[in-house]
Amino acid sequence: MKKLIFLIGFLFSSFLFTLTASAQCNSELYVNKSMKSLESGFQYSKSYRIDGRGGNRRKVEYTCVFSKDTNYQIRITGKDGGAQGLIGTLYDSKRNELVSSFYNNKFLEGWTFKCRATGIYYLSFTFKNSKSYCGAAVLAFRR
Amino acid sequence: MKKLYLLFFAISSFWACSSNSAPSNETENQMATASAIPEEASIVKVDDDIINDILQSIPSPLEISLLIKEVGSYYNKADLNDHNKVSSYSTNFDKALNLGIYGTDLGYSNIYNKNQDALNYLNSVQNLAEGLTIGQFFDYATLKSLAESADQNLDALLRTTTANFEKINYHLRQQKREHLSILLLTGGWVEALYLTTLVHQRTNNEVLREKIGEQKIVLDRILLVLEVYKTRNGFAELIADLKKLQAIYDQIEIETVYEEPTMVEKDGVLVVVDNTKSVVNITDRDIDTITSLTKSIRNKIIN
Repeated sequence: MKKLIFLIGFLFSSFLFTLTASAQCNSELYVNKSMKSLESGFQYSKSYRIDGRGGNRRKVEYTCVFSKDTNYQIRITGKDGGAQGLIGTLYDSKRNELVSSFYNNKFLEGWTFKCRATGIYYLSFTFKNSKSYCGAAVLAFRR
Repeated sequence: MKKLYLLFFAISSFWACSSNSAPSNETENQMATASAIPEEASIVKVDDDIINDILQSIPSPLEISLLIKEVGSYYNKADLNDHNKVSSYSTNFDKALNLGIYGTDLGYSNIYNKNQDALNYLNSVQNLAEGLTIGQFFDYATLKSLAESADQNLDALLRTTTANFEKINYHLRQQKREHLSILLLTGGWVEALYLTTLVHQRTNNEVLREKIGEQKIVLDRILLVLEVYKTRNGFAELIADLKKLQAIYDQIEIETVYEEPTMVEKDGVLVVVDNTKSVVNITDRDIDTITSLTKSIRNKIIN
């Protein structure tokens, strides 16, 4: 009987711990860090929260409307340090991959996209060997 | 003892269910499809994730404001909404729409370094934000000090303004007040389009002409979300007005020809050149109709 009560208590605490761990992604912190790594001349436009909910969510995706003759820059920062474990990939409206921040086996802090076609784009964030599944990215533009 | 076993079973089941609560690929596919095919999404039940994704996708009015300055247009205070009108906006519907209008005017006056006008708009924005009980998310003091400083750091000022509006939108969505968030974004977009059409009338600039045509994509997305709230006060009339604009935009074509992008890595920085090209096919008549319709919609909002 005592063992069972102990087991239930243990299960409850583990459950609460899992919930807390998943909720511990404070993306706001990484928005500011990403913002600081933007190249000069780029104007901040939007931030994207990347919360993988402790590994339960494999992809976080956002839709963007990009304009032709505009340069867009993405900067990614995560809890693992730099862009470690986080990959930002851009697709066009037909899901053709245009660029990924995981390049030559390295996690780059972002990319610059020189857009020449106005339309819908998809900005997808995925995780690779991530410990925290937590971060943020910012989007900036320059004509 | 039996009860304890039952409790144990209930907890285990609850735990197992919670671990699978993350959005599935199906949901993500649904979001992508809804974003790509607005007509279909409007007839299915739209969930919060889809609405948030569309709201998040609407470009910052600052992109247009900076473009207007870049084409060499002069600053004309009379083009913007009168900051003193703020007290006449009494309903949440009017407050949210005009918060968007003033937000664009604030960014516009900042870009032209018109400090006093920017401060006036800042006060109007703060007033409306407080009226909507989201004033606490607007860092008035920092923005005021940035706008007043003699060596005005425009980058910091624009960045902080954008971040503040983003925070307001985020908190409105967190509070399940997405209907106000879309009104704010609609107001900001209408004012940016109105300014573009005004400056285009004066300059006949080709880049602005194309920019007006490109707004077809944004308008479709705005209407997609507004439709969700069509039974709320004020929405039906706004939707009807914007649909008249959409009917004109439906005749405009954006042609796209796909080409593989080119990629260059330099000092750890990846630069991708898009080789896909798009062309906006828009007639003078379309431009004239969009200009007059936008003016009338904007006047309805601000008066």
